[in-house]
This record gives sequence, structure tokens and C-alpha cells, in this order.
Amino acid sequence: MTADYIAQQIVNGLILGSMYALVAIGFSMIYGIVRLINFAHGDIVMIGAFVTLGLLQSLGAPLPVVAVGVLLSGAGMGIAVERAAFRPMRGAPQVTGFIASLAVSIMLQNLGILTLTAQPRNFAFPDYLQALIHVGAVGFRVIDVVIMLSAVLLMGLLLLLVHRTRLGMAMRATAENLDVARLMGIPINRTIRAAFAVGSGLAAIAGLMWGGKFGQIDPLLGYVPGLKSFVAAVIGGGGSIPGAILGGYVLGLAEVLFVGLLPPIYSAFRDAFVFAALILILLALPNGILGKAAEDRA
Amino acid sequence: MKRTLLGVLALAVFFLGTGTPWAADATIKLGALYNLTGGMSSIDAPALNGAKLQAKLINEKGGVLGKKLEVIGIDTKTDQKAAATGAQKALSEGVIAGLGYGDTTYVMAAAPLFQKKGLPFVTSGATHPELPKWVGDYMFMVPFGDDDQSFAIADFTVKKLNARNVAVWTDNSMDFTKALSKFYMARIKELGGTVVLEDFFKMGDKDFSAQIARLKAASPKADAVFVSAIPNEAGLSVKQIREAGLTLPIVSGDGFDTELVTTVPGPKLANAVYFSTHTYREDNRPEVVAFVKAYEKEYKKPPENAFAALGFDAVGLIADGLKRAGKVDGKALRDALAATKGYKAVTGEITYSRPSMVPAKGVSIISVMNGKYKVEEVWMPKP
Amino acid sequence: MNLRRPRWIWLALALGGVAAVGLAQAAWDDYLLSIVNFVGIYAILAVSLNLTNGFAGLFSLGHPGFMAIGGYVTAILTLPASRKAMFLALPGWLAGIELPFLPALLAGGAAATLTAFLLGLSVLRLSGHYLAVATMGFLIIVQVLIENWESVTRGPLGLNGLAALTDLWWVYGGLLAAVYVSWKVKFSSFGRSMLAMREDSLAAQCLGVNLFRTRVAALAIGAFFAGVAGGLWAHLVTAITPGTFSLIMAFNIVVMVVVGGTGSITGAVVAAVVFSAATEIFRPLEESFEAYGIAEILMALVLLVILIYRPSGLFGSREPAFLTAGPTHEPGNHPATAKGGQR
Repeated sequence: MTADYIAQQIVNGLILGSMYALVAIGFSMIYGIVRLINFAHGDIVMIGAFVTLGLLQSLGAPLPVVAVGVLLSGAGMGIAVERAAFRPMRGAPQVTGFIASLAVSIMLQNLGILTLTAQPRNFAFPDYLQALIHVGAVGFRVIDVVIMLSAVLLMGLLLLLVHRTRLGMAMRATAENLDVARLMGIPINRTIRAAFAVGSGLAAIAGLMWGGKFGQIDPLLGYVPGLKSFVAAVIGGGGSIPGAILGGYVLGLAEVLFVGLLPPIYSAFRDAFVFAALILILLALPNGILGKAAEDRA
Repeated sequence: MKRTLLGVLALAVFFLGTGTPWAADATIKLGALYNLTGGMSSIDAPALNGAKLQAKLINEKGGVLGKKLEVIGIDTKTDQKAAATGAQKALSEGVIAGLGYGDTTYVMAAAPLFQKKGLPFVTSGATHPELPKWVGDYMFMVPFGDDDQSFAIADFTVKKLNARNVAVWTDNSMDFTKALSKFYMARIKELGGTVVLEDFFKMGDKDFSAQIARLKAASPKADAVFVSAIPNEAGLSVKQIREAGLTLPIVSGDGFDTELVTTVPGPKLANAVYFSTHTYREDNRPEVVAFVKAYEKEYKKPPENAFAALGFDAVGLIADGLKRAGKVDGKALRDALAATKGYKAVTGEITYSRPSMVPAKGVSIISVMNGKYKVEEVWMPKP
Repeated sequence: MNLRRPRWIWLALALGGVAAVGLAQAAWDDYLLSIVNFVGIYAILAVSLNLTNGFAGLFSLGHPGFMAIGGYVTAILTLPASRKAMFLALPGWLAGIELPFLPALLAGGAAATLTAFLLGLSVLRLSGHYLAVATMGFLIIVQVLIENWESVTRGPLGLNGLAALTDLWWVYGGLLAAVYVSWKVKFSSFGRSMLAMREDSLAAQCLGVNLFRTRVAALAIGAFFAGVAGGLWAHLVTAITPGTFSLIMAFNIVVMVVVGGTGSITGAVVAAVVFSAATEIFRPLEESFEAYGIAEILMALVLLVILIYRPSGLFGSREPAFLTAGPTHEPGNHPATAKGGQR
């Protein structure tokens, strides 16, 4: 258990955490604005990954063009999901929206299996992204750095959007009180649609990164990121975008360190340790790490 | 609206209950139970493809005992409830035998029902050597047992790769991978090797960086690492181990028999990987060549993994048993199957010579170098 | 209970029910029986979750964990000593026990209830999505423990060769018990405090409802029936494996409760019937087109459509009028609530 080893494991945890944070940003955008758990978020990540594969393979397009294409497809998908599953449920109990998004998720997964078959496919990014870098004894890859920078950059952009633009103000108002916002003349439908578009576009980009990092995609891949982003957003503090990022890092670090720093015999118990730790965090901070006390609507 | 819903439901149940059997005794029905949706679908779907292909080929040649074979594919959605009801459904449709699954858990939900009814169940992909003992004398396995394949790859690790110190990674959430590791480690120790590190992960894991860092820091250093995983994690683990700069041989069982092991890491990184599997890949036997050609013609793509060949063999074995039994009867088929000697399957020769009723089949050891597969040797178990 | 129908109607219904079950058990084929048995078990699960999620408004995703505990305890208790020795390495006093079905089921339910108490004491101060994550954590912890505690559970392989003890009598008997208990709870002052707590916890607290104790009780009662359902499941499939009790199953049961109407017992039963049976009905469609996955998509569409037209579920929070002839009991409607829901 040398210092080098511990440093490597911490870096591993931060790298995994960045991936989760990237997925959680989009999730918390929707969660923060519309207070709805969008379970289809993970499946939009999957769609982003497959769109990337399609564009790269069939068009051979350069990466920036692919990224834009992915962003747009994700945004479009998000708007469709909003229209189909969430708009009709507005005003219904929260859990109804959650179940509706679950239904959409099931449809997307099984459509994927029907059209693409369940076989995983490989996903090859250009070689320069896979190169290994060493800083001292700690090793990581270029793509990991890209993911980390993207997570931070996108978080910054998102916070700018939410706090410095009119659209952001409209979103915050809608989040606080839908009816009063409507009375104030804010176009609710458009605002919510924008939130979904941005959040889902981010999910699709996360899918691009996910495919690039792990190199393997399949129609069922959305389940894991969807779940992780939900957990990350809740742990970080429901509704808080920086909270979701923080939650992603906590989750990633916990997953790696519980394996890396405990004797190998405990590696099998990793998930139990991670969730036990998360439960302890929630008991100490019942509204998540950065969350405020429960918003009691009048 | 509620009443009409209830009314429709009642009608549906009524029809199911009275059961309208279109007595089509002109076909011999086989119930193929597979998880075609859900987490196990990438393993099971090709097996059903193989099974249907074999039935088609047999029917083109005139069928069995003058009748056509009909393979009823039932999706059990990687869900135990669906497995139990699916098996019941197959039995209610008058099948003469059941086949299916690549995993022991689902076999255990379905096969006992067939045993009770006195109809054989042939698993195409489940490899636990104690399956026939647990289910009964109507249980048949097409593949070899995990003990055989673990011994084969363990022998190869110590004798051919000269690895004395071995690290073992086990997927702790699947009974298949746990059994594989257990047999492997026992054999390594028998041959005088040492297990220097035992680490764990779970099916569905994407990131192995923690285990890799530990492997790097292991002392004494490991000469090889045995990764007991199923296809979904096979490619990922090889890619990440090689990306971290580790060049030690990566060894495994038939869970690594998938295109993903070469495509996910890419040709540069898919190096020094060795795994034991069913004798089918890169094999030049006429049965294999014919199968691959037929599969490509029918499905416009090469067989995705060995399970496709195994599904093909399951139907072939049953048809062969029926021919020898001479009649469409559960007990007769069972006896004929138990007496199978030297049936030339795509995945090797099947003979049920051992009291455990696990076929004594050859195990292929395959190496991957620069993204290319090669059969290193074929290990034969003691009969 | 405020059922204003004369006694003899209930007696006639009961006799009719017994006759129906007896006839079905004798006459129907195994396939139909297995479907009906599973429908019944899912109904028990839905009704029990309805107590926790529906009445008390607790977003609990841990239900399959209670199922697993109940299922394994029941299975271990009914296994003959010889098989126990073959599969497991249990402490002496446990290795020799072999119980008949009823005590084993009750023991399973009790084990689940005990776990619920312990869990509840720790996490029931949380609410909403935070509680969801905590109960999800509980489920995962239970799964990991089962997968790794091989001497007691045999790990991922699970226990197989269990006696096929479950039949229509057990399942529908269990369902009757679950419905009866739920009904009694719902139309008692205890139930009213639960519903009050769900509607507005602050106001309920002001009226003297002890939030924490009410929640723990809701979780515990729900867990008992989940444990019993687990035991019934294990002896229907004749095998029990950790993979069955997954987050996906938790979602399935939550779907049934929400679609039926959170808080409606009848709704939970109807939704369980519709969803468990519908997948079997769509099966022939899948097989004839060889398009596997269509059944799931259709089910999801049905789900969406139901939710679009009835966002509060099929029955909302109520029971259908013909079952509750008399004033419907809703929070705020009944003088008893004003008195603070004293037991």
C-alpha cells in the first residue's frame, strides 16, 4: 500500500467520477428544473453512443462534427420524451412522472434490441485519444483528461445558462413555482422543453464519451448511467447542479476506493459498501450534500 | 372503461383456460427456452438462431421420422418467473423435449418441470458439471463441464505459458464464473502453481481500474491473470488491462469466446489472450465449415459466438436421438439420448460415457495475437 | 369496517371463492395454474407495497429485499436436513430444523418484518427521493450479502430442488390475508393517520401524528407480506436465486401500485392482474412474428396510455363504490382525523 498506489487509485476514482458527473449534469438539469426523475436519461446516453458510432462509421465524419450531430440528436430525443411522457403528467404526483419515464426507457431499450440486436459492439475512437500518459507513477489516458475537462466545462456553461441568462431565469422561476411563473408570463412549455433539450443533449454527449472510454456499447447500456446519475444527483443534493457533479465524484471515488483500499476479499462487497456509505451520508445530510431543506410548496 | 377492461381480461383467461389445441401432430415440437430480451440476451439470442437453423436444415432434408421439426422459441426475458411460466407453456403445447439457456440459474427454473413430466431437457450453453445430478436423468448437456474446461486452461497456463504465480479475477455475481475460478485454482495448486492474488468484480461492471492498479502492485508479481468473466466483460477487461501497460498473459474460459475480445481492445491491444472453449472456432472440420456457411447464408452475418453453434447442436442432438429412438416418446427419447456415442456436433463429439452424464468433449485452447484467433491445442478429458 | 352489505352476501362470496379455487386447482392445466399463481403472488406484493408506498407515501424501492429475506428463510426452513447438509454449512441448531410450510412462511415474514424495523429505524427520517436512494441501497446490500454468504445461501447458484408447496390455496389465502389486513388498516384511525401523513406531513404532525412510528409500522407491515410472498415464490419456482430480487422487480411492483392508484387496495390487485397476465397474453404475438421485445414495448405503451388518461392511477386513492357502501373515508372528511388519529 504505497503512496504511489494510493495516488493511482485516487486518480482512478476521479476519472470514473468524472464520467458519472458528466452523465449526472444532464440529469440534474431536468431534475432541478422540473423536479422529475427522468429514467429515460440513461437511454438517451445509449442513443448518443449509438449515434456516434453510426456517424463515425458510416460517414467517417471528424469528431467535432460528430459531437454536434450527437448533441442535436440528444436534444431532439429529449424534446420527444418530454412531449410523450412528461407533458401529459404535469400536475400528477411526482412518482407518476417517474413511472412514465420508466415506460419510455423500456420502450427505447427494447426498440434497440429489436433493431440493433442485443450484441455489444465495439466503439473505436481515434488512437491519439487512447494514449497513455504518466505523471510520476500515476497513469491515465488522454480520453480521461478530456472527460474530466468536459465535465467541468459543461458544468460551468450550464451554471452560466441557469444564472446569467433570461432562459435560465425562466427555468429557475418555473422550478420554484410553476403556476406563478405562468402568471408572470413565462412560456412554461417552451422553458420546460428547453430544459429537456439541454439536459438530453448533455446526456447524448455523455454517451459519446462513455463509448469512447469503455469501447463497447449495447442497447442495454443505458441502465447503469441512468441509475448512477439518479443516485449522484440525490446524494449531491436534489436539484443542485454542482451537487450532481459532486455526487458523481463521490460515487466514482467510493466505487474505486472501496475496491482499491480494502483487501481484495472485500472487492465482492463493493456495492454494499458504496451504498452503506451513501446511506450514512444521507443520514448525516438528509437533503444531500449541497441540498437545501425540502422545498415545501405552499 | 374499467368494466370493459375486466370483461376483455375475463374472456382472455377463459380462452387460455379452455385451451384450444390445434392438434397439429404432423410436426415434432421442441420448446426452445431462451432469454431473448434483458441482460442475458446477447448470449441466448444467437443460440436460438442456431437452433432454428438446424431445424430448417433438417426439415429441408425431409425431417425426422417422416415429420417436420418445429422449434418454438420462447423468450423468458432474463426473468425467473417468465422462465417458469415459459417452461409450463412449452409443456402445455405438446413438445417432446425442451432445450435452451446458457446459464445454470435459468436451467434450474425450467428443467425440473420437464423432468417431472418425463420429457428430456437439453441445455445448449449451461456448463455446470453437477446439472444432471441436480435435475435428474432427463437432463442433458451439450457443452462440456466447467471442471473439464478449467483443468484444460489451467494445464495450459502452467505447462505451456510457464506461469507459476497466477492472479485470479472472478465475477462474483454469476455461478458460472465462480465455479470456473474454483476449479481453475484447484488445478493450479495441484500442478504446483500459486495463486498470488484473488480479486473480484461483478457482471455489469465497466471499470476495472481499481483491480488493475492492485494487479500492478502485486508481489510476488503475477505471471498471468485468469479473468473469470462472461462475454460482456471479456473485451472490456482485456482492453483496460492492456491500456494500463500490462503485458502479462490474460487467461479465461469460454466466457471469452466472443468477437468482443478482439474488437473492443482492437488488434494492437488484443495480445497474449488465451481461453478454453468449445471446439468450433477456427476449426476446419467439415461440420464446422458447413455450419458457418449455412449461418451466414441464413442470417447474413457470421455466428456471433459459440452459443450459436451450441444451439445448433442441441437441436441436432435431439433429432439424432429421435431417429435412434424410432418413436416420438419422452422415455424412448431419453434412453436414446443417454446412449449417444460419438455424435458429431459442430462443437465436438458428444458421448455420455461418464456416470456424471457430462459429455467428455474436447476443449479447444485458443490464443489471440494481434487480434487474430488461433487454436493452440485441443485438450481431451479422460473418458 | 364500514361494509354495509348483509352478512350472508359475504358468506356466499366466500363459499363461491373456495369452490372456484378448488375447481381450478383440479381442472386447469399446469401452464394456466402457474400464471394464476404468479398473478396472485404479484398481487400480494402490490398490496403490501401499497401499504408502504401508497398509504404512507414512502418511496420505497427495497421491497424485493424483504422478499428475498422471507424467501430464503422459508426455503432454508423447509429444506430437508439432508439437502441442507449437501448445499449449505449452517450452524447446528439450524441445520436440523425442518418445518412445514405455514410456520416456515410465517418465519420468513417475521424475519422480513424484523429487518424492516432495523432498516426503518435508520432511514425513515429521510423522505422523497432520498428515501428512494436509501431503500435502493438496502436492496443492493441484501443482494450482495446473499451472493457472498455462501454457507447460508449458496451464493449466486441459489437453492434449488425446493418442494413445490405453493398452490392456489396458499397464494390466494395469502392474498386474502394481505387484503384483509390492508383494508383493516386503511379504514382505521391508524390508516387515516398514514393517509394524512402522505397528504401533508406538516399538518399531520401538528395534529399529533407520530410520523416516525407510523412510517416504521407501514414499512414493517408491508415487509411482512413481501416476505411471505417471497416464500411463496420460492416454492412455486422450486428454486431461489439472488438475481430474481433485483431493482427491476422493485420497479415492476412500484408500477403496479402507481397504475392501480397509490392508496387503493383494489387498484393494486387489478393492476397486478393486468400486468402479470398481459405479458403472457402478448407472448403468442411475439412468437409468431419472431420479434422478441414487442411484448415489453406494448406493455410500456399500455402503461403510458393508462397514466396519460388517469394520472392518479386506475382507482386513485379510493376503493370502488360498490365495495364501500357508506361515506368514503378521505383525510379531512372524517371527524376522527380532527381528533389526531389516536389509536
